Amino acid sequence: MVQIDLEHIYKEYPKSDHYAVMDFDLHIQDKEFIVFVGPSGCGKSTTLRMIAGLEDISKGDLKINGEVVNDLPSKDRDIAMVFQSYALYPHISVYENMAFGLRLRKYSKADIDARVKEAAEILGLTEFLERRPADLSGGQRQRVALGRAIVRDAPIFLMDEPLSNLDAKLRVSMRAEIAKLHQRLNTTTIYVTHDQTEAMTMADRVVVMSVGKIQQVGTPAEIYDHPKNQFVASFIGSPSMNFFNVTYEDGRIHNEKGLNLQVPEGRAKVLENNGYNGKQIVFGIRPEDIHTENSFLQSWPDQVVNAKVVVSELLGATSQLYAQMGDEEFVATVDARDFHNPGEEVAMGFDINKAHFFDVDTTEAI
Amino acid sequence: MAQRTSTHSRATQKRHRSIWINLLTAVLAIVWILPIVWIVLTSFRAEGGAFVQYFVPKSYTFQNYVTLFNNPDFPFLQWFLNTLMVSAVTCVISTLIIIAMAYSLSRLRFKFRGPFLKIALVLNMFPGFMSMIAIYYILKAMNLTQSLVALILVYSSGAALGFYIAKGFFDTIPMALDESAMIDGATKFQIFTKITLPLSKPIVVYTALMAFMAPWMDFIFAKIILGDAIHKYTTAIGLYSMMTKTTQNSLFMTFTAGCVVIAIPITILFIFMQRYYVEGITSGAVKG
Repeated sequence: MVQIDLEHIYKEYPKSDHYAVMDFDLHIQDKEFIVFVGPSGCGKSTTLRMIAGLEDISKGDLKINGEVVNDLPSKDRDIAMVFQSYALYPHISVYENMAFGLRLRKYSKADIDARVKEAAEILGLTEFLERRPADLSGGQRQRVALGRAIVRDAPIFLMDEPLSNLDAKLRVSMRAEIAKLHQRLNTTTIYVTHDQTEAMTMADRVVVMSVGKIQQVGTPAEIYDHPKNQFVASFIGSPSMNFFNVTYEDGRIHNEKGLNLQVPEGRAKVLENNGYNGKQIVFGIRPEDIHTENSFLQSWPDQVVNAKVVVSELLGATSQLYAQMGDEEFVATVDARDFHNPGEEVAMGFDINKAHFFDVDTTEAI
Repeated sequence: MAQRTSTHSRATQKRHRSIWINLLTAVLAIVWILPIVWIVLTSFRAEGGAFVQYFVPKSYTFQNYVTLFNNPDFPFLQWFLNTLMVSAVTCVISTLIIIAMAYSLSRLRFKFRGPFLKIALVLNMFPGFMSMIAIYYILKAMNLTQSLVALILVYSSGAALGFYIAKGFFDTIPMALDESAMIDGATKFQIFTKITLPLSKPIVVYTALMAFMAPWMDFIFAKIILGDAIHKYTTAIGLYSMMTKTTQNSLFMTFTAGCVVIAIPITILFIFMQRYYVEGITSGAVKG
């Protein structure tokens, strides 16, 4: 059982006039797989390093199992961490790398041997135990780094962009491996990445961060379907959500670029109740919610716009149409059968039920 | 055909260049090695005289070495042992000081670290013997002149400023290794002994060698500190004391024999320590 509470944590670096992390408030439950995701420089790694005890906390409390551990050195926090750069000890074998932490903690020889061998078994490293890190491939080194973390049986795992040094294919397979590992060991894990696919596929809960602040915390589905603000909406999802500046008026949204769509009654009511009638709002729609198939266009003639395809990319099952409406560009992900050549004028249907509306000033979702 | 000619001429060009390079290295090697060969040959020369017109001796003898160790006026063995003792102790103390300095300046962050590094850099630019008069008076006040302890003190205390090279080496060891060890449960001292030191063998060996060699080479400090206490002399000033007006002709070959003998411990040390100069020991630590 372990519970981690980050209570209004701030991080300020010396000689810097702003906080690298601001008011970070998060409560992590036992066995949760939490992913911090955000663009580089958003403070996600700093937060992780504060949990690890590698950075001082400027303000706020970090509690592990209810106890404030702000000033507890890393070695006493009982955590295991996987570094982006692996950080393997180059002068000792894989076996010794994994045994290092156990030896320092004075485990018995037999116990160390059993633990290292078990971890090696899980990670498929048995035949490499006697090798030095320099003699391993990137993927194997990454597994040693994981192995070093799991032999300790620590209740908390921290992972700092562990896959970012691997090639694309290896990354996908290691991602699955880490997910499997979590299912098997059920250790509370905090995982930092800038890759939204990793965040979406692995997390129990995702913490989206930007410029030192938490933007939204939620399950991957919540984050995807109900982004709290424009940043989250644009950061999660690939290609990212399209945004249009529009005016809402009496059940319709329109702009001078040729967009004029009927808003479903329920959504219109929300907008009106919040006093947006006649006002500018941001209308967001995901590329996959834009359709070109006839069945959609015929069923929802009120939600169709005409746009010119500028670039089209065929990705196999789907194709991406980069289109222009007036001088406003947007992307649509459509079925590969609906492929259109650049230059074609195409009727596109916007699935307005899946639309997102944001306040122009606060960028918060309405 | 044209292509073949061009490859051919390129190969010739390459061969020419390598001939020149080899020739140059050969000349340099001769220039370097000649004085050493001359010293060794002279130390075995049977016919006397400091100044002779030829390079290769006419006859050989081992007598110069026998005289070297059996001349009561110039107790070479004593000097040799003095130097060895001073060197060994200095080597241990200096290496400890340098490595500790370098490690803390590389890994710890504290106030005045930056200014200290700058001051040390500037201080390093002054030659050590600038301070010799001051040091002499300080030692005299402490009643330490004409003693080997004073030499050890002077050599080891000068070491503290020699941390720059070792610091540069420690800086190349990724911080992530320290952090990783910290999370594995290591204390700062354990990180130093179990991670940093094993990875720093080349620089520790280098530091130790340099510290060991300093007393063998130093003349100025030894000369002013030891004065006329012949039995406390180190080899450098001892050998030089053989070269007085009255003795320089008769003892010249003995002098060269002394030069050969003092080269022996350093040479042995170098050969022995050389295998630790391994490159790329940190490869494979981080990234691919």
